[in-house]
Amino acid sequence: MSANQISTRHLLGIKDINEQDIELIFNTAREFKEVINRPIKKVPSLRDITIANIFFENSTRTKLSFELAEKRLSADVVNFAASSSSVSKGETLLDTVNNILSMKVDMVVMRHPAPGAPAFLAKHIQANIVNAGDGTHEHPTQALLDAYSIYEALGDIAGKKVAIIGDILHSRVALSNIYCLKKLGAHVKVCGPPTLIPKHIASLGVEISYNIDDTLQWCDVANVLRIQLERQEIKYLPSLREYALYYGINKARLDKLSKKTVIMHPGPINRGVEITSDVADSEHSIILQQVENGVAIRMAVLYLLASRKA
Amino acid sequence: MRILIKNTKIVHHNTGLSDSEQDILIDNGIIREVNNNISQKADKIIEAKGSYTSSGWTDVGTRTGEPGYEHREDIDSVTEAAAAGGYTTIITTPNNIPPTQSKSDILYLKQKSEGKLTNILPMAALSFDCAGKDIAELYDLHSSGAIAFTDGPRSIQDTGLLKRGLEYVQAFGGLILHSPVNGEFNKGWQMNEGIISTSLGMKGLPDIAEVMMVERDLRILEYTGGRLHLWNISTQGSVELVRRAKKQGLNISCSVPVMNLCFDDGALTGFDTNFKLSPPLRTAEHRNALWEGLVDGTIDFVTSEHTPLENDVKDLEFPYAKFGTIQLETAYAILQTHYGKILTPQLTEKIFSQGANTIFGLNKPDIKPGEKADLTVFDPNAEWVYLQTKIKSKSNNNPLIGKKLKGKAIATIKGNLIFAEN
Repeated sequence: MSANQISTRHLLGIKDINEQDIELIFNTAREFKEVINRPIKKVPSLRDITIANIFFENSTRTKLSFELAEKRLSADVVNFAASSSSVSKGETLLDTVNNILSMKVDMVVMRHPAPGAPAFLAKHIQANIVNAGDGTHEHPTQALLDAYSIYEALGDIAGKKVAIIGDILHSRVALSNIYCLKKLGAHVKVCGPPTLIPKHIASLGVEISYNIDDTLQWCDVANVLRIQLERQEIKYLPSLREYALYYGINKARLDKLSKKTVIMHPGPINRGVEITSDVADSEHSIILQQVENGVAIRMAVLYLLASRKA
Repeated sequence: MRILIKNTKIVHHNTGLSDSEQDILIDNGIIREVNNNISQKADKIIEAKGSYTSSGWTDVGTRTGEPGYEHREDIDSVTEAAAAGGYTTIITTPNNIPPTQSKSDILYLKQKSEGKLTNILPMAALSFDCAGKDIAELYDLHSSGAIAFTDGPRSIQDTGLLKRGLEYVQAFGGLILHSPVNGEFNKGWQMNEGIISTSLGMKGLPDIAEVMMVERDLRILEYTGGRLHLWNISTQGSVELVRRAKKQGLNISCSVPVMNLCFDDGALTGFDTNFKLSPPLRTAEHRNALWEGLVDGTIDFVTSEHTPLENDVKDLEFPYAKFGTIQLETAYAILQTHYGKILTPQLTEKIFSQGANTIFGLNKPDIKPGEKADLTVFDPNAEWVYLQTKIKSKSNNNPLIGKKLKGKAIATIKGNLIFAEN
């Protein structure tokens, strides 16, 4: 039986929640997904709740997804982006957030470049915190929506083989996905150039491969990550061309397989680098379903945290 | 002023551990009598049953804060914190503003600590501005009283600089301290590279970044001769290399910070920046190897690695927080708390006092009548709570605040000066 209340005050990472929490989030998301497909897409659940979306790093889709989720729950929403803020004037994270909280904000959705920044904030402030990505650490709502999308596509997660492909070293999506999928009983393999695979990643219970064709043949689902050149202060790859040649997912590679593979991507896509258009837009791809599920999952997370009784 | 220490056991590397409890009478800064029952009156009586008395302790690599970072620490506060932790001598790093690299910088520190219970023996910069390029005026600094040379926590990446330094100081028998880290290995590292750093998505520094530097340093030392101290090693590989080098007869010594002996990288799972240290906390395996190295004498002494920092640079998102903790007041206690009975009084004396005293050539007085009093009285069984309100340091970056600890320096005495809480 699943619990009716989430076990944590904040969603800092998948590491900190349990299997029952994930199940509860999925069940709640399923209901909200039904809601957002109605002619009237809004419910009054968070009518008296104010949520601040604080983004210290650029984001288009995650921010939009959170904002839509909040609005569909009838929350009041304020947005704060670092580029247009006092951060550039040297204000600390704590000062920034405390200033926002003084205006009576109940929840904070934060993206920040520093691993652990939401955990730091949780030690200092009262509001519920949802981690929308902290550096190379976690991106829990992305992992939840990815797992939920796999569940929808394959009917189950336990026992399924999921490959995470690309820049594992700089990816919070990879780490959160590993935690989430392992908790749900999937087999996980990471695949990419050795310089982009963390040295001790096997300690998290995943397999490692440097060969894309073997990996594609092995997996039921291929979650293809964005090659994040903007996070690489050193060159881990000689060129995008070489990456595309040896690790890029293209139609020819998929056609060689003896089975159907589900293709996912957290976006934004570098078309022609980690994935070609004929794959991204094919029937193999559930990329747009991921985006739709993202809103439902975020609605579920916000709703469950806000309605949690201490 | 007469001070009487009652019922303590004396532990000293020359005489070993005394069989029975002794009383020590100090009159006007000089030990007058050591006997098993002294009944004379005194201005201050230390009831020290269950304690041990050793030569005054020495810390190596203490940050004074002053000059330059007086908001973190100054000469008054650092010497008081040191006395509270049992230290009668602190050997300080040159990483101030300005760096300790001229005659006047040395004299400033020496003069400002005159008359304090804990005296300061400053180390000077090995390279100008500790910038890792050209050697500073090492001869003149030596003549002015610099006890050794180092760029502090800034590891020397330029092999030629270390070579020239080791050669140059041989003119006057100088000692160089080096904190070995290959800075190129993983720039921007936050902690030890391993299972924990992977699970936190944090950039890690692998053990080999230190080991390869130790290997390099030993090769250079073999080539140049001279005296080198590897300051604050943290890995099993370094311990093994130094052990071998000592057998080989190289003039090498090394030290380890107490935090690295007591904690491993598991302490970082909650992103507590007070465990963000350099060298980083390693795994339990490394910790055990460091302890073994300490017991078999490969590691010569422990350091507090006392690094005072204000909250504004410490209580931050993990990657933005500076490295280090204050430890002068808790170094012995955390070691005793973690190692219990296997930390013997003899080993305590060696790693807090004799080890550094030997390497730095400090002729601390013996514990016998006629000698000047320079003593630390420590009680391995004293239980106490480390309260923020009682901290002598100006900073409070220490993860142990509020924690119950076992083991305490109950009195620190030099000449006529005494620090004792009770």
